[in-house]
Amino acid sequence: MIATIKAEWRKSRLRPGFLIGAGVIAGITILVYAANWYLALHPLATRGGDRAIVSLATLYPDQFVNNVMGAAFPIGAAVAIVLGALFAGSEYGWGTVKTMFTQRPGRLTVWGGRLFVFGIWMLILTLVLFGVGAASSVVVASFQGHAITGPAAIDLAKGIGSIWLIFTVNGAIGLALGVLIRQSAAALGIGLTYVLAVEIIAVRIINLINNGQFKNVTEQFVNQNATALTQSFTSAAFGAAPSPAISADHAVLVLAAYGVGLVIVAAGLLRLRDVT
Amino acid sequence: MENTTIVETHGLTKRFGSGVLAVDSVDMSVRRGEVYGFLGPNGAGKTTTLRMLVGLIRPTSGTATVAGHAPGDPKGLARIGSLIESPGFYPYLSGRENLRVVADMASVKQKRVDEVLDIVELSTRAGRRFGTYSTGMKQRLGVAAALLKDPDLLILDEPTNGLDPQGMAEMRKLIKDIGQGERTVLLSSHLLGEVEQICDRVGVISNGKLITQSTVQELLGEEGVLVRAQPIEQAQDILTRIYGADAISRQDGAIRLKTKPENSVEINRSLTTAGIGVSELRPFERSLEEVFFQLTGEKQGS
Repeated sequence: MIATIKAEWRKSRLRPGFLIGAGVIAGITILVYAANWYLALHPLATRGGDRAIVSLATLYPDQFVNNVMGAAFPIGAAVAIVLGALFAGSEYGWGTVKTMFTQRPGRLTVWGGRLFVFGIWMLILTLVLFGVGAASSVVVASFQGHAITGPAAIDLAKGIGSIWLIFTVNGAIGLALGVLIRQSAAALGIGLTYVLAVEIIAVRIINLINNGQFKNVTEQFVNQNATALTQSFTSAAFGAAPSPAISADHAVLVLAAYGVGLVIVAAGLLRLRDVT
Repeated sequence: MENTTIVETHGLTKRFGSGVLAVDSVDMSVRRGEVYGFLGPNGAGKTTTLRMLVGLIRPTSGTATVAGHAPGDPKGLARIGSLIESPGFYPYLSGRENLRVVADMASVKQKRVDEVLDIVELSTRAGRRFGTYSTGMKQRLGVAAALLKDPDLLILDEPTNGLDPQGMAEMRKLIKDIGQGERTVLLSSHLLGEVEQICDRVGVISNGKLITQSTVQELLGEEGVLVRAQPIEQAQDILTRIYGADAISRQDGAIRLKTKPENSVEINRSLTTAGIGVSELRPFERSLEEVFFQLTGEKQGS
């Protein structure tokens, strides 16, 4: 397994897709901070007086964990799906799957090493998100003359863990589709369509049936749980929030189940199918 | 006593889901240390057979033992180097970096990468991205990757595919060099000249069936002499009396005589003494191409 991890890391460390993905995550985080900062400083003129859409207090370092959650989903999840589909699907297009499967390790060992390295990349993307978020919040606080105080370590750890889980599970959707379809383009297309359209439409339709009688079904959908998990990170600075329909604990369990399930299904396909 | 065969299959069969019978009960045997040519027209089942031998495809029925293990067994794979169809590498990595990835995967020391690059004469161009390589360079890199494990068995699937004549000649020389010593090379090809030049033994596959398996010499048949003479019937009678009916056959208006070419002087004397005019007298040897078309039932030049 160590040999496989070394090989997988060697081939992916310079892979343009991952480097671009990290850049996109960093860019989006900066954009979100910049836009929110602008909106916080330029309140909308309303009949009742000026009203800030965004509170400046949410942009300071002590709130940055809660703030970056918004940047992580759905765009960060979409990036993870694209990377997963590319990581698994392009092996078929390049013919490298046969090169790797005819070396020493067995197929499942190769798959295990690939998953490990993909998990590392999702952690790198998560750390990029948090690192850029933290830096952006420090910039805002410095310009606004606000004290620079970090969030509690436990909140930071929970935030990193949650975003890593969301990225990894969405990445696993891309990975499984890449293995299933045996190419990257269709896999990432289907994955993105699912996350950005199919699940949203399905949830709306199901929630309309019999006045929401089947709402509990939608509570098992992957990105309903991802959204619930990101929204569980909030504070008084963000204003009053409605109580979430899905608890953070439930979301973590459902997401973990999706991740494990997708990885096992893909492993089964890899092990049993011919490489033609 | 050490087993003398390194590849052995019994009734190896592959039927794809679409119902296509790609490989049909192949019994194949490759001996240690030989260069074995796996010959067949396009679509005959060569690549499917080789994919089964390295564990990429599971057979529908039958068994195979490769390097002492079942196909795809990690212990067997450790002793096999292969290049199946086109070389598969990462286009954004250099040739050298691609080999390093394969070396890591195969648990081979990194210093071996430079050794195999030297063998395939790609050292000076190993720093370029694989995506920019020519077909010949890609094939060489594929062979280099197959050599990384210093394998007992090297399986090369149409390694000269897509190469220009010079590239083909260079690849043939490379394969000959690689096949020296104790290493076994199993080479598939539809290029008869290539197989004839490189291989010790050949197996001919057509429509998924292994038609024959023998040394190149056995396949080409016995040596003989071709005689054109007038009148031909009288010439045949004389030669039949001397060499026996079994040694004589007629083809395209000539007599094919199974005998050593050194007997040509004696044959000429016998015929001319009897007043028969000899217009052509020369040694003949069937080409592998001739044998191949005869065996596969395909028409030459079709």
